Amino acid sequence: MYTQNAKELNLANKELAFQNEEKEKRADELIIAKYARSLIEASLDPLVTISAEGKILDVNEASIKVTGVPREQLIGTDFSNYFTEPKKAQRGYQQVFEHGFVADYPLTIKHKDGNLTDVLYNASVYKDDKGNVLGVFAAARDVTEQKWAIDLKIANKELAFQNDEKEKRAAELIIANEELAFQNDEKEKRAAELIIANKELAFQNNEKEKRAAELLIANKELEAFTYISSHDLQEPLRKIQTLVSIIIEEESKNLSDNGNYNFQRIQLAAGRMQLLIEDLLAFSRINTTERKFEETDLHTIIEEVKAELRDTIHEKQATIEATDLCPANIIAFQFRQLLYNLISNALKFSKNDIISRIIVTSSIVKGSKLNNPKLSSENDYCHISIEDNGIGFEPRFSERIFEVFQKLHGKEVYAGTGIGLAIVKKIVENHNGIITATGELNKGAQFDIYIPVATN
Amino acid sequence: MKPEALQILLADDDTDDCSFFKDALESLSLATHLTIVHDGEQLMHLLVAGTSKLPDVLFLDLNMPRKNGFECLEEIKRDKKFALLPIIVFSTSFDQDRVDLIYENGAHYFMRKPAEFLQLKNIIHEGLRRIVQDFSAGNRTQPAKESFVIM
Repeated sequence: MYTQNAKELNLANKELAFQNEEKEKRADELIIAKYARSLIEASLDPLVTISAEGKILDVNEASIKVTGVPREQLIGTDFSNYFTEPKKAQRGYQQVFEHGFVADYPLTIKHKDGNLTDVLYNASVYKDDKGNVLGVFAAARDVTEQKWAIDLKIANKELAFQNDEKEKRAAELIIANEELAFQNDEKEKRAAELIIANKELAFQNNEKEKRAAELLIANKELEAFTYISSHDLQEPLRKIQTLVSIIIEEESKNLSDNGNYNFQRIQLAAGRMQLLIEDLLAFSRINTTERKFEETDLHTIIEEVKAELRDTIHEKQATIEATDLCPANIIAFQFRQLLYNLISNALKFSKNDIISRIIVTSSIVKGSKLNNPKLSSENDYCHISIEDNGIGFEPRFSERIFEVFQKLHGKEVYAGTGIGLAIVKKIVENHNGIITATGELNKGAQFDIYIPVATN
Repeated sequence: MKPEALQILLADDDTDDCSFFKDALESLSLATHLTIVHDGEQLMHLLVAGTSKLPDVLFLDLNMPRKNGFECLEEIKRDKKFALLPIIVFSTSFDQDRVDLIYENGAHYFMRKPAEFLQLKNIIHEGLRRIVQDFSAGNRTQPAKESFVIM
């Protein structure tokens, strides 16, 4: 019995020793397992194991933190649920199964509250002893800060670029400002020049006004001089005429024929001198008197002239036609003199054998149609025409006849001082117009006057 | 025609013209009495002094020294005493503006001194005739402008 007990005890002790060994193995394994677990939990990186079906088998604290989902809810759920791009996540771990690993696979983890965390996944398969793939072990590296760093770098590059641009703009602005300062300087120089120019202009205008005033005085003096001198010339002339006429009347019986004849010649000469003085007076008056332009009916003037020439018209049995005359902007008294001179000439130089016919017409024409270098093509002109059927003149004298004292006939043939047409031309010039004469010997003459419609 | 001689006053500085006038007047054989003054001041003195009797007509030359015909005309017509004195202005030259002015200043008639003696006789005669005609018609005021100038 005792030996049987010893045998049983020995067996039991062996069993116990074996159990104790196993226990110690187990205890060692447990320490290793705990150690491993601590390591896993200590990692700041979210670690996760995923089954072959894609379900979460295990997570660490960091995973819980980053997803905001408690352990119990995480385990068993689809790994890809916790990402902004679930399909990308799935592709990711499929790649692990295919290739055995995946490195730096970028994904974005979605926290329950909505916060996003950018990560790079490193994962590999893990196998059992026999080499069967049990699942995927994945570690996420938070790259938010790296991303920020990269973004910051880009931002800084952009900022540096912007600053560069700013400095370029600043440099350009400095140049522009310098240019502007220069322009302003130039402007001020121009303004200063302008002030000087204006002063000069004001001075010139002053001088002009002085000259104009002097001219006015000179003209008045000339007018007075002309009047006085012609008046003073007329006095002794008239006396001569009167005395000669007394002699002729009272002493003719005491004189020889020659004597009487001589006195008559004196009378004629004196008469011519009187006309000359009167014409000269009229000629000078045209320049020096005031010029007042008025819209005038030419018919009125023609009638006044006809009245003055009534006797001559009757004597020559002449007709003066003037119909449809347009009104003209003229100095009335000067124009009366003009028409008097022209019509009186037409009467004087009429033919003896036919009835003298004088035609006066007027119309408005455009300067552009007249083709005369002396007339502006932009203005309208009043065209007045005086035509007669008298003795005419040779075309080569068409300009000379307007000169002072130019006559085409001796004084015995046709009386006249030779000033009449010079006066006419002066009057036309006073009206800023021109006059032309056309004629042929024995075929009459025509005088065409063009005066601007508007006063200049 | 008045039974007494017509009292004519002539104001003209030119002695030749005065003698022409005198000769012309005499050759007209009218009953006239002629007084002559040679300048404007003399004229005014005579008129102002002789307040007893005014002349029947004054022939007034325009161009006189010291006081010319214009000034005399104005002075005379300004004075109410001389309102009824007919004045015939006599001048060498004819200027429409001056003629108008003379009419406005109250002269009765205007004459231009002619170059021929015969004409001188005619216009003096015409002037006197018109004055006398106005007297008889009881008209001593200025005639109308149309009759102003005697040619």
